[in-house]
Amino acid sequence: MKKTTVTICTGTTCYIMGASHLQRLDEVLDPALLEQVEIVGSRCLGYCDANGHGKAPFVKVDDQLIADATLDKVLAQIRKTLAKGAL
Amino acid sequence: MKTLFTELEFHQLRKATENTPGDAFMMQKDAQSGRLIAVLSDGLGSGVKANILANMTARMAIRFAESNTGFLHYAKIIMNALPVCRVRKIAYATFTVIDCRHDGTVQIVEQGSPPFILLRGGVPLDIPCTEYGNNTPQDYRKLRVYHFTAQPEDRILFFSDGVTEAGMGSHRYPLGWRRQGCAEFIQARVAENKGLSARKAAEAIVHEAVCKEPGQRACDDISCAVLYFRTPRRTLLASGPPFSESADAEYAELIRSFDGTKIISGGTSADIVARELKRPIHTELFRFRKSALPPVSSMTGIDLVTEGILTLTAVLNLLEGNKHYTQVNAATLLAERLRDSDEIHLLVGTKINQAHQDPSLPIELEIRRSLMRRIATTLEERYFKEVKLEFI
Repeated sequence: MKKTTVTICTGTTCYIMGASHLQRLDEVLDPALLEQVEIVGSRCLGYCDANGHGKAPFVKVDDQLIADATLDKVLAQIRKTLAKGAL
Repeated sequence: MKTLFTELEFHQLRKATENTPGDAFMMQKDAQSGRLIAVLSDGLGSGVKANILANMTARMAIRFAESNTGFLHYAKIIMNALPVCRVRKIAYATFTVIDCRHDGTVQIVEQGSPPFILLRGGVPLDIPCTEYGNNTPQDYRKLRVYHFTAQPEDRILFFSDGVTEAGMGSHRYPLGWRRQGCAEFIQARVAENKGLSARKAAEAIVHEAVCKEPGQRACDDISCAVLYFRTPRRTLLASGPPFSESADAEYAELIRSFDGTKIISGGTSADIVARELKRPIHTELFRFRKSALPPVSSMTGIDLVTEGILTLTAVLNLLEGNKHYTQVNAATLLAERLRDSDEIHLLVGTKINQAHQDPSLPIELEIRRSLMRRIATTLEERYFKEVKLEFI
């Protein structure tokens, strides 16, 4: 089964705006969900430097962009994406 | 000889019962002539008094040596200038002055300190000396003077008697570690690692000496300096995207073709290089995750890839001695690479990252250009590195 990819931007702006906490995602993710996702880090995704995307930090769950990302927001999006995939 | 780099490093442990070291080390390098002068002095006794004697001696010796005053003359002036110890009724501090010219000629003047060790081809080599001094009981001063020409990969090790007398009186080392023990130790270390840096050699000797002391507590100040004549180690540190996108290919090619260690600090810069050179890049999200700095990445052909401004700010703090980390992270790796290098090329992309100028950011991010300038100055002035700063 293809895993859902969670991309955490670790560029300077995202990092100081909270991405450092998002690196703990694997620790807070339910083990059953963790098996279905792949968590990867990324250099600056470029959203912070362009208008219209919202505030840093940025995370992508597959193609879905999350601005002003928190662990709660990312977890919710992961569940949503996985639920959609299960249909 | 012109192509050789002189790496000079010093390490010290003070006497366990004192708050101040009684040995002093000073060095200076003339940027124009390439002349390097270093002095190690051991003040009589220990603590503050010894520290003052040692510092006075080292400062005077370095100034006299610099002004080309004859060593016989300046040794006498130094001895007469030192304050007399109330307990011992003598004014005394040992010194070793190393004066190394750009052409590789070396003069070493020793007064009272253990004879230096010259490691040539990894093996200790005795250099003949000329002795000065009347050697009478009234005059405790005796100078040993050595002249020789340094060869590539030579290492000169000089130390206070805290090294040679380490462990003295113990069952295993009744007369201390001695110069011979120290020479054998460093010969074995160099045999294991031919490129052993001066810094690591000085640290290893001091560490080994204190291990011989009772309870591993230094009974005297233990100081060691190492001067290593080596083929320059070259490092390129590239940070920041070029001002114009049209220079991206040139930027990547400069990095690719560099002969030496290659480091990229900056995610966008790394992505540009990966794109231009068509190389995959991978961020190691979970390595150093508790380090309070963004993660490192890996790219084929590049020795280290880190985030930019935050990591470089931490590197500057490390190099200036304002910060210490107990764990390895991106900044300690980068600072270590820089300290182990002799010639450092800083390639600075001048494109401004607009997102970094946002006043709502929780911390102030320094402008890359000024940060890299400060790193260059610190590397030159504090570590005597040869630094080239280039903006693109």
